[in-house]
Amino acid sequence: MSVATAAAKERIRRVPESLTPNRLRTIVAFVAAIAVFVIGDILHPGFGSAESVKAILLTASFVGFVAAGQTFVVLVGGIDLSVPWVLNAAAILVVTTSLGQDGRAAWAVLLTLAMGLGFGLVNGLAVAFLAVPAVVITLAMNGIAQGLTLGLSQGLTCSSCASYAPPVVRDAVTGEALGIPGGLFLWLGIVLLMTFVLGYTTFGRRVYAIGNNSEASFLAGVNVRLVTVVLYMLSGMFAAFAGITLAAYGGQASLGMGDPYLFQSIAAVVIGGVSILGGRGNYLGSTAGSVTLVALVTLLLAENMPDWGRDVVYGGVILVILLLYGREKTAV
Amino acid sequence: MPPSETQPRFRSRSRWGHFSVQQAPLLLSFAILAGTFGVYVGLFVANQHHFLTPFEGQSIVNTALPLVFAAVGQSIVVLTRGIDLSVGGVMALTNTIVASNMHASTGSMVAWSLIGLVIGAGAGLVNGCLIAFGRLQPILVTLATLSIYTGLAIKVLPEPGGAIPVEYTKYMANVNGPWGLIYVAGLLLVWFVFRRTPFGVAVYAIGNDQAAARASGIKVRPAKVGVYVFAGTLYSAGALFFSATTLGGDATAFDPFILTSIAAVVLGGISFFGGRGSAVGAVAGAFALTLVTPLLFQANVNQLYTDAFQGLFLVLAVVLAGLVGRLVSARA
Repeated sequence: MSVATAAAKERIRRVPESLTPNRLRTIVAFVAAIAVFVIGDILHPGFGSAESVKAILLTASFVGFVAAGQTFVVLVGGIDLSVPWVLNAAAILVVTTSLGQDGRAAWAVLLTLAMGLGFGLVNGLAVAFLAVPAVVITLAMNGIAQGLTLGLSQGLTCSSCASYAPPVVRDAVTGEALGIPGGLFLWLGIVLLMTFVLGYTTFGRRVYAIGNNSEASFLAGVNVRLVTVVLYMLSGMFAAFAGITLAAYGGQASLGMGDPYLFQSIAAVVIGGVSILGGRGNYLGSTAGSVTLVALVTLLLAENMPDWGRDVVYGGVILVILLLYGREKTAV
Repeated sequence: MPPSETQPRFRSRSRWGHFSVQQAPLLLSFAILAGTFGVYVGLFVANQHHFLTPFEGQSIVNTALPLVFAAVGQSIVVLTRGIDLSVGGVMALTNTIVASNMHASTGSMVAWSLIGLVIGAGAGLVNGCLIAFGRLQPILVTLATLSIYTGLAIKVLPEPGGAIPVEYTKYMANVNGPWGLIYVAGLLLVWFVFRRTPFGVAVYAIGNDQAAARASGIKVRPAKVGVYVFAGTLYSAGALFFSATTLGGDATAFDPFILTSIAAVVLGGISFFGGRGSAVGAVAGAFALTLVTPLLFQANVNQLYTDAFQGLFLVLAVVLAGLVGRLVSARA
């Protein structure tokens, strides 16, 4: 009997070991993404065609870029609400400094990424050293980024504000190699990099450690403050990166172009199974979350869903996902 | 280590000393309001060579009223360690429904005001149930419902429009002077009563330690639902005041209230870690924030920078509150 029980226990234990809840969530997110494409193709033949999938993935990549930074800060139990206007400021900064010239492109891109890092630095310092709640400081920085962007560009009426993104940058995002747009290669690179950093480096281990218990990680010798600051800086940089690629994709910058990305980046992270309390989840999940979200929106557009309906569906999807696996364990 | 060294030492303190330590954040919020008001009046007198007229008084009070109500609602949520991002959506929904239905008769004005409040209570009920019974994170739930409520508001009024009868303005926002302060006094009275009810005690207990509150016999879940219902009703009251001064409906006009209501709570010295602070501070914070726009106008700063200064104001308040808190706890 004891042998039988042990064997049964062994069998029960073997399944969860290979399929942890975290992995399950990532898989669910991917299945959801594929399901949207399949359902879409049934409702609208051609929705799942290579061209359509390519277009959807490219649109999803912008959400994915922002979600990369958001994943980082959410993994340590933080949140970055400064995304919309850091992204918008970046898009405007990159076109106004490059003036559409290839010769200026490299410096413009570096300067813009540095601006993102700068905003992230302030967020990180406030969270790590002054114990300011992440919601408060990132919301404040969003306001500061918005006011500075509007003020310095005179409401986007400045003479250089109508500049286009340099052709080099535009080609990097929309130009195709092997039939695949450059933006998707960039995204693939970021997916690999994020997965490597989070899963296979000391830095990644520290991120999860802080997310699970920052005091214990401090006692174990992790420089919690330094890691936190770096994560917020990366989040600012990824928002700026998304701003550059969006300006490249659309050709120009516009006001309010960052607004959808706060909700979408957080939604992508949540759909991807990253716990908002920190310490659980990975970027692969967020990637699948971005694709699911954008594919769903595209499908609703194809169904002639009006604006208001999309907002309602957005919110509904998040609530359903949360009720499925975002519930806190301890009964209150 | 001898036990005497680990014992906390109590020092006798004068009544005022005890009060100032307990209420340091609240006193700081009054100081911020007084400082902002002082700078505004100074600039005004320097520019106009006369003191404020009743017109400036009523203009400031009328502009502040929506935020004052929204901020008190947000305070109650923050006191339970929550956060409510759906404030913009609730206000938009109330504003659009009221603006598209209200007529100039007394019956219609009273009825639609009450319906407006019920809408807020209903929206809060949804938030509260999802958070308390769904065991979900407030920030994610309210981000999702923000999208849903905003979507519904756009459905009610796709373009800015609708009409609020001019008579309504007479009652809600007197044009002859700052008589709107009566509503602020009424709100403070409601707060003082609420603070002394078992419900008010439960709110503070939950914010301090949810498990302990539960163990002491407080019904945590119904209390939490009540908090979001109460907050939603207050947001709607704010939206009614907003409708009365703008005389129309606009589904997109309420996004700024997310930032400003949270900023007012921070300026008011209410702790984001729950259970500490008073809505009286948030009222002071709301007035201080409202003064930023006319202050910048008097200082000849481009209005496009308003968001930047409000954000900066928020950062300074947070940093200042942190320093005062550290100073006080070092002395205590």
